[in-house]
Amino acid sequence: MDEIAVGKGEIVSLSVPREGQTKAGSAGGFSDALFKAVAEVNNLHQNADKAIQGVQAGHADSLHEAIIALEKADVSFRTMLTVRNKLIEAYQEIMRMQV
Amino acid sequence: MDLITSFKVIGSGLAAQRAKLDVVTSNLANVNTTRTPEGGPYRKKSIAFAAENVEGNFDSTMKGIVKSVKVDEVREDPNGIKMVYDPAHPDADAKGFVAMPDINVMVEMADMIAASRAYEACVTAFDSTKSMTLKTLEMGR
Repeated sequence: MDEIAVGKGEIVSLSVPREGQTKAGSAGGFSDALFKAVAEVNNLHQNADKAIQGVQAGHADSLHEAIIALEKADVSFRTMLTVRNKLIEAYQEIMRMQV
Repeated sequence: MDLITSFKVIGSGLAAQRAKLDVVTSNLANVNTTRTPEGGPYRKKSIAFAAENVEGNFDSTMKGIVKSVKVDEVREDPNGIKMVYDPAHPDADAKGFVAMPDINVMVEMADMIAASRAYEACVTAFDSTKSMTLKTLEMGR
């Protein structure tokens, strides 16, 4: 789950990009962290898919490993969803701001 | 202790209890088996577990304390044979005695219930871990 957690220092770059910060190579940028999190969630989902296919085909190690893989995928997806909802919330809060 | 490590520990517990149940099943299925590929009657098998260190992101207080479980050994009972008088049995010796596995079905059933309850406990721990995590996601709503 560590890959999904957004580190402390990474929030900073959500503000206006500072000078010298390249768009693509902003190491530890928020978008970077988000991208990594999505990739990790996707990875866990693919693992779960494979595990279930293995069970159906009858050559899996065990049923519980497949279920655990599913649950991992589920929890990681929910975590990502929570992060996404928070982001959208913040965005809408900003859009509602009176100018 | 992060979620993935919890799941790993619980998964090892589930696998261990499944293995115990497999051994019990084998003992029950072969309660009357007099012939084995190794020769002689089937011998009662028992399983032993060992604790294993988990590599995870623990803080210093938890390091080396949380352990997963693995199947360490499945041992055959070397003298688990009882002589039963049954002259009609194909494997009876000259005096009419047959070497039978010395398996107590009651003990095996008790072992089976123990394994099954331990498995259920692991499943409950899993559910509890998951619901704790989902509760965490609800923080600040």
